[in-house]
Amino acid sequence: MVDRPDPTAGVGGARFSRRGLLKTGGGVAFAGLSIAALKLPMFGVSGAKQDPAQCRATDVSSSQKELIISNWPAYIDPRKKSTSTTSVFQQRTGITVDYTDDVNDNAEFFAKVKNQMGSCEPINRDMIVMTDWMAARMIGLGWIQPLDAQSVPNLHQNLIEPLRNRQWDPKRTYSAPWQAGLTGIAYNAAKVPEIKSFEELLTRSDLKGRMTLLTEMRDTMAFMLRVVGADPDKFTDAEWSSAIERLEKVVASGQVRSFTGNEYIQDLAAGNIVACEAWSGDVIQAQFDNPDIKFVTPEEGLSLWADNMMVPNLATHQANAEEWINYYYEPETAAKLAAWVNYICPVEGAKEEMEKIDPSLVDNKLIFPDTEDLADAFDFMPLTDQQSQQYEGDFNNVIAG
Amino acid sequence: MSSPADLADQGAARATARTDSFDGLRLENVTKSFGSFTAVDDLDLDVPRGSFFALLGPSGCGKTTTLRMVAGLETPTSGGITLAGNDITYAKPYKRPVNTVFQSYALFPHLDIHENVAFGLKRRKVGNVDAQVTEMLELVELESQARKKPAQLSGGQQQRVALARALINKPEVLLLDEPLGALDLKLRRNMQLELKRIQTEVGLTFIHVTHDQEEAMTMADTVAVMNAGVIEQMGAPQELYENPRTTFVANFLGQSNLIGGTIKSRAADVVTVDMHGVDVSIPAARCHADGDEGWIGIRPEKVLIGDPGEQLDAPGNSIPGGVVTDVSFVGVSTQYQVRMPWGQEIQVFAQNTGHRRIYRPGESVELSWRPDYAFLLDASQDAKAGAQEGTD
Amino acid sequence: MAEMTRRRGLTGYLLLVPGVVWLALFFVIPFYSLVAASLFDPGGSVFSGYEMTWHVQNYWDALKEYGKPNSWSDWGPLLRSFWYAGLSTVICLVLGYVLAYAIAFKAGRWKNLMLVLVIAPFFTSFLVRTLAWKLILGDDGPVVSVLQAVHILGADGRLLATPVAVIAGIVYNFLPFMVLPLYASLDKIDHRLIEASGDLYANPFVGFFKVTWPLSLPGVVSGTLLTFIPAAGDYINAQLLGSTNQRMIGNVIQNLFTDANDYPAAAALSMILMVVIIAMVLFYVRRAGTEELL
Repeated sequence: MVDRPDPTAGVGGARFSRRGLLKTGGGVAFAGLSIAALKLPMFGVSGAKQDPAQCRATDVSSSQKELIISNWPAYIDPRKKSTSTTSVFQQRTGITVDYTDDVNDNAEFFAKVKNQMGSCEPINRDMIVMTDWMAARMIGLGWIQPLDAQSVPNLHQNLIEPLRNRQWDPKRTYSAPWQAGLTGIAYNAAKVPEIKSFEELLTRSDLKGRMTLLTEMRDTMAFMLRVVGADPDKFTDAEWSSAIERLEKVVASGQVRSFTGNEYIQDLAAGNIVACEAWSGDVIQAQFDNPDIKFVTPEEGLSLWADNMMVPNLATHQANAEEWINYYYEPETAAKLAAWVNYICPVEGAKEEMEKIDPSLVDNKLIFPDTEDLADAFDFMPLTDQQSQQYEGDFNNVIAG
Repeated sequence: MSSPADLADQGAARATARTDSFDGLRLENVTKSFGSFTAVDDLDLDVPRGSFFALLGPSGCGKTTTLRMVAGLETPTSGGITLAGNDITYAKPYKRPVNTVFQSYALFPHLDIHENVAFGLKRRKVGNVDAQVTEMLELVELESQARKKPAQLSGGQQQRVALARALINKPEVLLLDEPLGALDLKLRRNMQLELKRIQTEVGLTFIHVTHDQEEAMTMADTVAVMNAGVIEQMGAPQELYENPRTTFVANFLGQSNLIGGTIKSRAADVVTVDMHGVDVSIPAARCHADGDEGWIGIRPEKVLIGDPGEQLDAPGNSIPGGVVTDVSFVGVSTQYQVRMPWGQEIQVFAQNTGHRRIYRPGESVELSWRPDYAFLLDASQDAKAGAQEGTD
Repeated sequence: MAEMTRRRGLTGYLLLVPGVVWLALFFVIPFYSLVAASLFDPGGSVFSGYEMTWHVQNYWDALKEYGKPNSWSDWGPLLRSFWYAGLSTVICLVLGYVLAYAIAFKAGRWKNLMLVLVIAPFFTSFLVRTLAWKLILGDDGPVVSVLQAVHILGADGRLLATPVAVIAGIVYNFLPFMVLPLYASLDKIDHRLIEASGDLYANPFVGFFKVTWPLSLPGVVSGTLLTFIPAAGDYINAQLLGSTNQRMIGNVIQNLFTDANDYPAAAALSMILMVVIIAMVLFYVRRAGTEELL
């Protein structure tokens, strides 16, 4: 859930995995940053936890009509057009939007801002967009300012049901989904018969060595937990161990070719793999070029995730940010955006608006899923710091061979 | 070695030599071209066994190319090379009993002196290497430096190592490619004598390539003067100096006054030439001009200078009407430039014996030389050929 | 006179200042904090902070987890890294030496062009080049097709996600680091030395091993170091061209830092990698005896 499809680019060869590229490139920078992040004193490093009530700035939104946003690349309709959602926002509100697509990877972005945010220093952004688990972590660390519910009525009114009641932010006090997506299975129908379940993906002999899983721990382990009969929303250490052992066995059997970021989509298009754990948006894009590539929601259930807009501590234009959120939760705006980015639209009523924009997308279940489809959707339970570190470590040991 | 008589009928001598068993190094009709440039042009050369042979010429004359063909580092475009009757034209360098002392010594920088000298013996898997190396280092007086690296040695020492490294293999022919070029003058003089001593001691055939005429004449039994890919003249140093056959040799080897003249008569043993109104006689054996015109050649030190009308001790050619234009006193001799009535400046080197006074510029003088010392060269040749190159 | 000397000495020290400041900022300080992190209490986290407990056990734990072979076929990431890096370096040396030799001695007027071609890959991103290899070695790509046609690979054989692909990628990516020092070394060799060896009864083969090879040793040493050191720590080739079974120590460190956020373990593993590499390099340089070469 890290790459956003870029509708302006072709799929496959021309569109080299952005995440793959950036993640590895970022990794180099990251190692340096992490080391620097450890600070000098030989005697330990203090925690990064902050109190958002203490660590806040005076809001100057009324005098400075500005808004600084960090989002993922190619995750918005082309901003320069006068009819784009951003242009309309600027015209309507008079707020100048400084929009940067400098979020390439949750962990990398976390590392980038950790020093400042962890010591209550400004990161000079009014809004950042993080995937659920990272959003949960940042909220837990007290890095995020609560939104004024009065200022974002559209959010509370129009947010689709399945994205409400997330354990880490049950009332959407801190976060507003920008776009959502599903984690499921993609396969090449020209090469292998349909794959119905994650269990099949892990065991079918015709997929041996030609299948990949995701490096994102929560994505892969949610399904592994399901496979061993546990509930990712609420599981015990024993269930976790059993799921990890199962994954270990699968890896040892040679079934898994590798664990990937979203470069799986090139491998799938190039025929290097025939099936994989995948994110819905990537697959919709790939389907334009190769209709044989199919996305299935596994029998084990739907893994629904979202990338969430949040206002970090010490942001100086919170009111402007809230205006932006409210604006994007208007069904018309949401439909315009969804028509471009092809991920699941988190806004109720956008489907009706889409009729006017692009009727061919109205029935696309990967953009506007039925509520009953999402009934099965599960979330990954929030982890404590120690659990997070422990589970990430366990998972890493398996995928590190 | 080669007497003038040999040289006179060189062609005939060679024709017979081809058939009998010549045990030295022989180059026959050797030509080497690099693209359109001919470095060596149809060269015939015999180097007798055991001789110290110098190949003398200006840079670019083809002497180094000739040497490299003998060493096997270049292959002739045409022609053949034989050594003691064996054809080695296309033999690989490592299969020839020929070793080279390179211009820059080309000592192996990663090996010490002992290992450098032992290199050839080890490759041939000869026994008793260490003793031979020690002996050879003694010969070149470097036994105390055996474990040093070449870079730690002076230029002269390196040169001796290079010599030892080649000599130890007792090659049939030792090639020396300007081996003294990098040394300063004093060291060069010492090394010349040293080389000559060693050659006499070991009795191998040495072929020494140099552009230094003095060096060639000091060391070699036979000197071949090479120019533009061909050998201009070959013979004993004295012979070449005293009786040059071309203007190039006359100028390259020492200095010569070359004065235009018209041949009046050719007798059996003497040729009479009209030199700007003065009759000059030249022995027939020293006359190398075919047509009616020729260059009368005379070495500056053979020209005598005296007051007008003074009876100089030369019996023959006496030329009046000179005016001294320049005088340089160099100690052992005084060098004059004398302007002759026909406008040419003649060089005169007068030994400072103390018997004669030194003339001043502007004084009128009379010049004279013995006919035996003059030579006559073909008028078709360039009077200035080789003049610049020979001076260093 | 003494004044002059002293001032000249001072200038020398002043010239050192920018370099020393740079090193202090970007090497010494990060290094110091890396050492510190490797000794932190492993029970800490990014969230709660780390306490300095001089927990040397981190090193043992890291070695136990990643440094020992799991089985005959699975060497674990640390040993695997050195094996891949070593093999890649040897392949680079063989390929690079031939190439550098050809450029230095045989290329003639094509020399500069060939050098540009050697460096040319640097004009594009390391990642893009490695991804290109993914296409080349892909299951439906040209190399696999050819190998399958000649029955070197079975019908369902593959190169991607195998050690072959990872090592091929490393060799490709680090070859210029091998070729350039080798070329510099070979190009410096006076051609007359090789002629001299031929003149002294060494055939070309013997001449190569007695003269050319020893004289090129400085290039061999720096080329192998420039290849081996980054190759041992490389993680991009293993990540893009390999699978979980080819993960190298760099991948593990990266994962520990970015995903698991286990800084003490990551730092300890980085230190182990560095110490092992330094030890190997020192041993190697001693053995190669480069100080003897000119």
